[in-house]
Amino acid sequence: MAIPRIAFIFAITAFLAGLGVATFSELRIFLPALLRGAVVTVQVSVLSIALFLLTAFVAGIARAFGTAPVRWSAAIFVEVFRGTSLLVILFWFFFVLPEFGVVMPPMVAAVLGIGLNFGAYGAEVVRGAVQSVPRGQTEASIALNMTQFKRMTRIIIPQAVVITIPGLSNLTIELIKATALVSAVTLTDITFASVQQNQLHYRTLEIFAITVLLYYCLAQFIRFGGGWLEDHFSRHLKPRSA
Amino acid sequence: MSEPKIRFDKVLKAYGPLKVLEDLDFHVDASEVVTIIGPSGSGKTTVLRVLMTLEPIQGGVMYVDGEPLNMMMSDGQLVPASKAHVRRIRDKIGMVFQSFNLFPHMTALENCIEAPIHSKGMAKSKAIDESMDLLAMVGLADKRDHYPSQLSGGQQQRVAIARALAMRPEILLFDEPTSALDPEMVGEVLSVIRRLAESGDYTILLVTHQMGFARDVSDRVCFFDGGRMVEQGKPEALFGHPRNERLKQFLSKVLEAV
Amino acid sequence: MEWRWDFTFDVVLPRLWEAAGITVYATFASFFLALIGGLVLMLLKTAKNPVVSGIATELIELIRATPLLVLIFFLFFVLPEFGLTLPPLATGILAIAIYNSALMAEVYRAGLQAVPKGQWEAAIALNLSTYKTFRRIIIPQTLPPIVPALGNYLIAIFKETPLLSFVAVAEMMHAAKLIGSEYYRFTEAVTIAGLFFLVMSLVSAQLVRQVETYVKRSIQH
Repeated sequence: MAIPRIAFIFAITAFLAGLGVATFSELRIFLPALLRGAVVTVQVSVLSIALFLLTAFVAGIARAFGTAPVRWSAAIFVEVFRGTSLLVILFWFFFVLPEFGVVMPPMVAAVLGIGLNFGAYGAEVVRGAVQSVPRGQTEASIALNMTQFKRMTRIIIPQAVVITIPGLSNLTIELIKATALVSAVTLTDITFASVQQNQLHYRTLEIFAITVLLYYCLAQFIRFGGGWLEDHFSRHLKPRSA
Repeated sequence: MSEPKIRFDKVLKAYGPLKVLEDLDFHVDASEVVTIIGPSGSGKTTVLRVLMTLEPIQGGVMYVDGEPLNMMMSDGQLVPASKAHVRRIRDKIGMVFQSFNLFPHMTALENCIEAPIHSKGMAKSKAIDESMDLLAMVGLADKRDHYPSQLSGGQQQRVAIARALAMRPEILLFDEPTSALDPEMVGEVLSVIRRLAESGDYTILLVTHQMGFARDVSDRVCFFDGGRMVEQGKPEALFGHPRNERLKQFLSKVLEAV
Repeated sequence: MEWRWDFTFDVVLPRLWEAAGITVYATFASFFLALIGGLVLMLLKTAKNPVVSGIATELIELIRATPLLVLIFFLFFVLPEFGLTLPPLATGILAIAIYNSALMAEVYRAGLQAVPKGQWEAAIALNLSTYKTFRRIIIPQTLPPIVPALGNYLIAIFKETPLLSFVAVAEMMHAAKLIGSEYYRFTEAVTIAGLFFLVMSLVSAQLVRQVETYVKRSIQH
């Protein structure tokens, strides 16, 4: 599996290098604009991921363990922000809220929209993980006379976090791809930059190959990081081999 | 006679229409070792689980040292207990589970010091000292930095016993402590429980299928069937001359199997 | 700023209603194309020829790494270069279909893998034809996991159609945007578009759950 993957990446790189040599002048013309777009994509991604993780844990835990009103608010948040489309949410933050006097810069609207949208999906991952911690762990904590707070923070959540890693890293990859929509709130990310550059230079294949490669690399980075975190934290959790 | 260590007064535990414990009157004296036996579904494990407050009861009162556990006195009246009240009384009780329930993300030592530090507020160095003594007592001092997944079932259960003792309980509940173990590991766990029973430091309530062991260590054996305590007595009497018909059937089946 | 009901009824609702038709059309068209595309990709991926299966595997990976919007723009720009000039709606539907084919291929594959090997062996032992084996033995067992998963992709595709507004397809988001820029007020149009998506998603999610239990029951008899 690994060898074809490496061969494939190598092939793409070689292809791009070839294109770069063949069309050196054009590459020099449109590459700086794409790189500026890439910086915006990474900025939006990093900030949104932070908000996404925060929201996922707060809403997920609230939904699993909150008192009735807290549970219900969390459930409504999750359903509303999952049920509507991300683009609609972005529009709502950027175009509707100002009509009620809440004006926010494009970056803030983008991060809020993406972070809350994915946070709603992530909340379900966290809720599932928290609820999948075996009941015996709760019982042992009661038998050891721990308070509910200590039980959550020291026993249940540390175990749940490990379980959430694959689900949350998949969502993180989807989140990075979803940042392609931020031109809706007037940000020039790499996707929008490539559209602009394409309209100027008509090098569709090269420009979009570079763009896709950026998303691909970011996704691989998250996948690798997620895999490492999972291995690191679940070292002791796997039952020992007979 | 002074107040018993544990007293059940007409305790009712029901899941909907199914009564698991029915108006149970039951008591255990201080330092007494009591074994509960009975067929599955007889409610024997439920006695431990309701006393540990893992499950609510629907009627009756449980007393520890004469103080109500699931209720409390307020203006001379018994009212449902507050969380703080339950926590204060529950501090005297420790429990060892059938499936160990060690915390998988903590080492053997961390499992033991967790509750003393975070539930009792003990200083870390003191907790470590005490827990190391307990791990040595169960013969696992050298496994202090092992995670549960790196220990055998018998070792995990011995860590679980040390963990329960680290809270300095006066009452110890053992819920089928050897049922999840491979046969060759049963002995090491039973020998630890035997030492605790013989020390006289603890009031012990044990649910087990190990009849020979129950006969050896118990001061008294209780036979449960259908949510009621059907017969109780000294082990020699109960095993030697059972009176109840269901108990005779049960014993003949269990002893046949062994 | 406050909500204006006259504006809502006179302008927003009629125009969004018109656009909703395009949204629903795009959703189902993309979904059915993706159903077929996913099947093709799955068959290619599980092909015996390692070159074919290798290329299919990497193609799926590549599509999955690409944001849908990038794919939409890419097709929008690149198809005409190959002499294929499609209307924006068709291009958009094609992009959504390709994107979801890659995801659905995995659903089909997982469904097939869920059927134990013994079932194939039993079918051979009973001398069933390949067609009968699939029709009577394999497909009935793959349906319970596949159907709800495909239903969830239908909902996901529905929520992806607003992306078509980037290439000026007159679906709901585009209509809302146009209303906003014509009348300088976004509140009613964007909110109602959002509510439309919310209600449709919640209702469809409920439907998927019911189909799931129905399929499970009908298979188990």
